[in-house]
Amino acid sequence: MENIKRILKELLQIYSVSGNEKMGKEAVVSLARDVFDEVKIDNMGTYILVKKSNKKNAKRLLIDAHFDTVGLMVTSIKKGGFLKVVNIGGLDTRVLPATEVVVHGKRDIYGLITSTPPHLRKESSKNPKIEDLMVDTGYEKEELEKIVSVGDFISYKQQIDFISGDYVTASSLDDKACLAAVIEAASKMDKEMLQYDVYVTASAQEETGKAGVARVAFDINPDIAIITDVNFARTEKEEDFETIECKGGASVDISALTDRRLTRNIINLLKEKGIKHQLVCEPGRTCTNNDPVSISGYGIRTALMSIPLKSMHTPSETVNLQDIKSLADILVAVSYEENL
Amino acid sequence: MKELLKRLSLAFGPSGCEDSVRAMIEKEIEPYIKNAEVIKDGVGNLIVHFNSEGKPRLMVSAHMDEVGFMVTGITQNGLLKFGAVGGFDPIVLSAKRVISESGVKGNIISKPIHLLTKEESEGAPKISNMSIDIGADSKKEAEALTFIGDYFTFDSDFVEYGEDLLKCKALDDRLGCAIMCQLIKDVSESKSEIPFDLYFSFSCKEEVGYSGAFGASAQIKPDYAIVIESKAVSDIFGVPDEKKVCTLGDGVIISFADKGAIYDRDLVRHIMRLCDENKIKYQTNKFISGGNDSANIQKNASGCRVSVLSAASRYIHSPADVISYSDFLTIYEASRAVIFTEIK
Repeated sequence: MENIKRILKELLQIYSVSGNEKMGKEAVVSLARDVFDEVKIDNMGTYILVKKSNKKNAKRLLIDAHFDTVGLMVTSIKKGGFLKVVNIGGLDTRVLPATEVVVHGKRDIYGLITSTPPHLRKESSKNPKIEDLMVDTGYEKEELEKIVSVGDFISYKQQIDFISGDYVTASSLDDKACLAAVIEAASKMDKEMLQYDVYVTASAQEETGKAGVARVAFDINPDIAIITDVNFARTEKEEDFETIECKGGASVDISALTDRRLTRNIINLLKEKGIKHQLVCEPGRTCTNNDPVSISGYGIRTALMSIPLKSMHTPSETVNLQDIKSLADILVAVSYEENL
Repeated sequence: MKELLKRLSLAFGPSGCEDSVRAMIEKEIEPYIKNAEVIKDGVGNLIVHFNSEGKPRLMVSAHMDEVGFMVTGITQNGLLKFGAVGGFDPIVLSAKRVISESGVKGNIISKPIHLLTKEESEGAPKISNMSIDIGADSKKEAEALTFIGDYFTFDSDFVEYGEDLLKCKALDDRLGCAIMCQLIKDVSESKSEIPFDLYFSFSCKEEVGYSGAFGASAQIKPDYAIVIESKAVSDIFGVPDEKKVCTLGDGVIISFADKGAIYDRDLVRHIMRLCDENKIKYQTNKFISGGNDSANIQKNASGCRVSVLSAASRYIHSPADVISYSDFLTIYEASRAVIFTEIK
């Protein structure tokens, strides 16, 4: 678990709003160098990390976890040092007032998302909309314009808390939690046992339309692909079956857009080996990178796995380390199995 | 003084639970109270008295408590239901980090967005729909970490940002406490005579209305009182000037009135005159809003002449109280001038 914690911490400290993934290049390279044979970054900002099997002419296994996170972008600079902004990806605007951010200008500066006091709000009974909110930087406009330009990216300010019961709270656990599991799995994979050449994609721009992964999948043309992402954790009632349970292990997601035979073979393998997991159904679209990868090239056999996550797309996303470990265990088991 | 302000603001002290703030203040002023009397009263106020009998009694007051949360119940799946200690706009609560008196960390979770009805996603957030998640998966696990009646506050750092701004939880009203600590030091080291029978009251429970300042003023029976506070302002882009109330960076706010009290005209003018003479930057409020201990002090005992010196504060009662450090210094200078100058 300590190794997972270390990897996770390093990943969480990288700011990587969709479209701005290249900012983390050095950190990713230093993290991946010891685990993988090859580390590349493509034009869109997708990282491709390769670990080869000792087998000759091994099949190819693609494992994807997206690298980008939701965030904001500067649209104009106003008097008093306030920035008008637009969302990058689907933000839960309910959580934005009084949230701390980092504005990635010529240098990183601190900012706070504004909130209007109740006595001055016209409609006190409404959740805020993005166009009503600004980022307060504390600079005069002239000074601010020297640091920040329209189009600059803004991230939630990272605050990593390891709380009780193996839980961790931070921003961008979607999808760094899965990426940590994938890197942990790759570090555990024994090249002698490995049945596949493993291509890990830490893909760009998932949150804004899943643009980063499909092209890479086309290039790699894998025999099978495992997409890993987070899914809503169950916090309300027990019969909320669209959600998955924290500490229940990573889930294998069953969908019309995942490969039926591959998914069933994986579930059987996990049962046989006694590896902790849970099942969840996404009957139609999965709204993850699974969907574009499955139709990439001539069509790719995909399976989808998820880690349960609370408070999605907020600065306080929460996952359990045991579920990250579970996903890593599952991925290692899959990579050792030739006939899936 | 910035370092003291930081330490005090980060201390844990929601209304009714001010013990660690009080202890920190006691320690801070300890070297400077050899010639003073220290009173700790029943409700929890800490009063420091520099006796000078026969002179007019001046009470300087700031409150030690901050807004926070109290655990009201624990659900079967280990989530904490909570109530507000003090006034909150629920809009600033979702997904914010919190910490308990014993250091248990958590965050405020709301109903997940995919489960909201259209009405809920557009309507105002409600505290009753929120819980504190401390990483417990059952009632039993939660009970090992917390209890009904336990307090939480925002877990929010002290940050200096922009050209002159400070952000932290509880700057309301630890800024007043920090200034009073410094004033106590100044008074104890002063060679000139203080023209008042002088009381400093670090009071409790301001945020819940029935405040400790009530009892403090009953004991002190001041002739004059000045309250050091923060004032909610909205000086953000797009708000019409008259609705901004005040502006950060424009100096100490010397108001005429708030929603609870009309301040003493002569005392207000006296303070303005002092600021003019000493070239201390000040502003007046452009909008009557808010309230503070001044109303309680004014109405209690024999009634007294009251005035308020406040810091313009953005996003007050949120994890991110924001003030200007230069404003903070002008409040210190103005209150110092009041203490050292006879009122004619």
